[in-house]
Amino acid sequence: MSRDEIPPGTLYLLILKTLAVRKKLHGYEIAESIEQQSEEILQVEEGSLYPALQRMLIKGWVLAEWGTTAGNRRARYYTLTPDGKKQLALELKKFERVMGAVAKVIQTA
Amino acid sequence: MGLPGEIKRRIQVLLHREQFESDLEEEMRLHLELRRQRQIDRGLSVEAATRAAYIKFGNKTRIKEKSVMAWGSETLESFLSDIAYGARALLRSPALTLVALISLALGIGANTAIFSLLDAVLLRSLPVKDPQQLVLLGQGQASGIGENFVMTELYSYPFYRQLQQKNAVFSDVAAIFSMTNDVHGFVFNSVGSSSADSELMHVNLVSGTYFPMLGVHAEIGRTLTEADDNSEGDHPVVVLSNHFWKRVLASDPNVLNRKIKLGTTIFTIVGVAPAEFFGTRVGQSPDMWVPISMMRFVPPGYDFYKQNFVESMNVMGRLKPGVSLEQASTNVNLLLQQIVRGFPDANLSEKNLAKLAKTHVALTPMSKGLSWLRGEFSEPLQLLMVVVALVLLIACANIANLLLARATARARELAVRQALGARRSRLIRQLLTESLLLALVGGGLGIGFAMVANGFLLRMVSEGPDILPLDVGLNMRLLGFTFAVTLATAILFGTIPAFRATRLHLIDSLKDGRGPSGVRSRNPLAKLLVVSQVALSLVLMVGAVLFLRSLNNLNHIDPGFNRENVLRLQIETDELGYKDDDPRLTALYQQIESRVSTLPGVKAESFSAFTFHEGSWSDNIFVPGMPNDEGVTVHQNVVGNGYFDTMQIPLIAGRTFSTTDTATSQRVAVISEHVAKTLFPPGNLIGRHFGLGDNKLENDFEIIGIVKDVKFQNLKEQQENINYLSYVQHPWGFGDFEVRYTGDFRDVSTSVQQAIKGINHNVRISHVTTLDEQVARTMTNQRLVAQLSTFFGMLAVFLSAIGIYGLMSYVVSCRTNEIGIRMALGAARFNVSWLVMREILLLVAIGIAIGVPVALAGDRLVANMLFGLKGTDALSLAAAVLLLLVVASVAGYIPARRASQVDPMEALRYE
Repeated sequence: MSRDEIPPGTLYLLILKTLAVRKKLHGYEIAESIEQQSEEILQVEEGSLYPALQRMLIKGWVLAEWGTTAGNRRARYYTLTPDGKKQLALELKKFERVMGAVAKVIQTA
Repeated sequence: MGLPGEIKRRIQVLLHREQFESDLEEEMRLHLELRRQRQIDRGLSVEAATRAAYIKFGNKTRIKEKSVMAWGSETLESFLSDIAYGARALLRSPALTLVALISLALGIGANTAIFSLLDAVLLRSLPVKDPQQLVLLGQGQASGIGENFVMTELYSYPFYRQLQQKNAVFSDVAAIFSMTNDVHGFVFNSVGSSSADSELMHVNLVSGTYFPMLGVHAEIGRTLTEADDNSEGDHPVVVLSNHFWKRVLASDPNVLNRKIKLGTTIFTIVGVAPAEFFGTRVGQSPDMWVPISMMRFVPPGYDFYKQNFVESMNVMGRLKPGVSLEQASTNVNLLLQQIVRGFPDANLSEKNLAKLAKTHVALTPMSKGLSWLRGEFSEPLQLLMVVVALVLLIACANIANLLLARATARARELAVRQALGARRSRLIRQLLTESLLLALVGGGLGIGFAMVANGFLLRMVSEGPDILPLDVGLNMRLLGFTFAVTLATAILFGTIPAFRATRLHLIDSLKDGRGPSGVRSRNPLAKLLVVSQVALSLVLMVGAVLFLRSLNNLNHIDPGFNRENVLRLQIETDELGYKDDDPRLTALYQQIESRVSTLPGVKAESFSAFTFHEGSWSDNIFVPGMPNDEGVTVHQNVVGNGYFDTMQIPLIAGRTFSTTDTATSQRVAVISEHVAKTLFPPGNLIGRHFGLGDNKLENDFEIIGIVKDVKFQNLKEQQENINYLSYVQHPWGFGDFEVRYTGDFRDVSTSVQQAIKGINHNVRISHVTTLDEQVARTMTNQRLVAQLSTFFGMLAVFLSAIGIYGLMSYVVSCRTNEIGIRMALGAARFNVSWLVMREILLLVAIGIAIGVPVALAGDRLVANMLFGLKGTDALSLAAAVLLLLVVASVAGYIPARRASQVDPMEALRYE
């Protein structure tokens, strides 16, 4: 099965959207979720989630708090903030605009 | 969006750094473990699962680094660790670091020191309100007392008053007496009793408008005002300088209750000037200011307050807003004509009117104040500034060279780090930090050095025993300048090696243990630096040799008198309260002369108005039957009978003054050879008469002798006209006392002073020195240039030698392999040394070839500062070249010798 890298610039969008749907996840769950949702087509270099999450924390798009997993392990859970929701809307709009433009180019070609 | 929140969060991270890092670490560890478990669940072996988890995760260290970067504080963090690492790296090669630091400290320190003096003398504005509005009448070239119909440099007090009332261009005008009065005075304590001894005080007489016009306000009490100067003789008030208040009154807060006695008059202290205000003459700060209305009561008690035609004041004005210098000049010149003609006692002779019609006053902007220092030192200081700038350049070249060699030697280390994933920008930053650290520490040391050097320099430019009152402290502008130089050095010379070192072919560097082959055989930048160092050093050395020889020439000029073994001191008789022409004063002088003549070790002694370089009193002489040219002035010296014996000025014809010349006998004069030759007709002149000054009957003199010419004002002057008068016939108020002695200076000096005090305890003695010293002082500026240019020339050569040594050591260590092979193949030790020496000598030769024409061109620029030399001569040039060759050879010989002692087996086995 071929797997594709995430298109550049969409990592924020994917994380934000995942958190919007699943509300509260830790890093590993976010990675899993993205892969599953994309039916294993999108491959995240899982580590790269973490710099992105740190940036998002600093920007105030997500909140982090420590909790315990089902397996009784300590894990850091991320949730979306109101700013994060706004950002998701922005990122979506941007993505659609770009995709729309790409689609147009492909169609006319 | 949420920016304040973001900043808050960033600061939070900065403060709880470790917590954040461990959180991240734990999070990532959890991730990896969960992933591994998942793979195991899928049926992979433990090892395979672990591996898969890591591969899927990516480079953990890199990711952590990236996450940390998101916090935004990593720049600071890595900067701090860079500094720590840099410091360690620098300490690992202490010799190199020390040399680099010393080069920088000397380079930067010397620049700062010279610049601060240059700033104080040439650049700084007066610390007064809007100094750019101030203008001076004339060019500030003269000080003293003139008795003329009209002058453009100095003015009478009544003239100032008239100008003040009539002008339309100045918001205010002030007059400043062009000299300071040196007075012996007492400060009374608050109870009213005086301290035991009087002390020499420098008093400046100024008009009441002086402080208001400058916009200077008192720190304590008040400054002088127009009210202190509106009537003669009844305003005994004084404003102290801040320095005097601190030094003599120990910053007494109750200073306003205290009084000062100057001469025979008691003055009330009404205020203390602010600390930064030193007056309006740079390099000459008075201890106190007294209104001109009190002129007659401040010794020596001039009486010019109401004299329309005695010019002794500098006049300064503050331009009204919007008035240009041209407008002011027009107005002032118009008024000059009116005011001078309008004085009731004006002698409106045809000659005077013609002179007045031709008179034009130039107005000079006064924002930087008056200064005789500026005329004397502006050229030398500018020259020295260029010299130290070149030294700095050489120092920088040295550092560049050292850093370059070092970075190249570290090429392998850098290559390893790059291979391990360090970004190039990160490595460059690391190297830059190191050079920055070096430059900052060097700059710090430089500032320390500058502070020491400042005091030293100030002593060198001070002609007399007193240090010039100049504020050469490091100001912010200077610090900024120094730091700009430092940082520019670091950035420029830190970047070049950094870029070079990281622009490597990694594989080459790793393969070759001795560093990259490209750098081994050719190092054009380093060689270029050495060549330019040599060239610059040569230029500086040639300059130094020239200035030294110029000083030597000046020192060997025959002044016409014998400089050696003459004690001279100054005697002040203010406190006796005698007028200048009081016969008791003349008697006192004669008594002192005869008492001193009996002391052991004294061969001859005399009073005189002047000896050498002490200003002059000049007047016209009128010779019957000769054309009378008013332009020819003759220096007048008033002396005692023993003067010519004391100074050992040879007599050509006739006799010198003797006891037969008395106050009532025919007035007689001794003229200098030049006067005899140029102002009189040929033939026997003994017994001839001439008139002096206004040519009145009582100023008729008979020539009794002719003496050899002497230098009067400075050593460089041509033959001057000098006419000697006897103080018995022409009373003189205060003066020099010279004693020709044998034996020990201190013994004679002590016994002479005791003898004088024994005759009259109230006579003040000051400025005790030797005639030789007094002559030497007139060469201060040439000596300053010669000594400093020699110092810096030597420094330049020394730095270049270090540069050569550094480069060659490096080259040798890079070529150890090659040398080993050569020697294994049978090369003689001598040949190996020569291999290295040849390279050095080639570089030095190129440097000299470039330096010689530059030196020749540069020396043309300083030709007018040289005495008795016409630019560069072969001798100076050869001396400089030879010295440079010797030093360079020695510097190069050490690494060359080391090369020849390479053990071939050792060299080849390495690696």
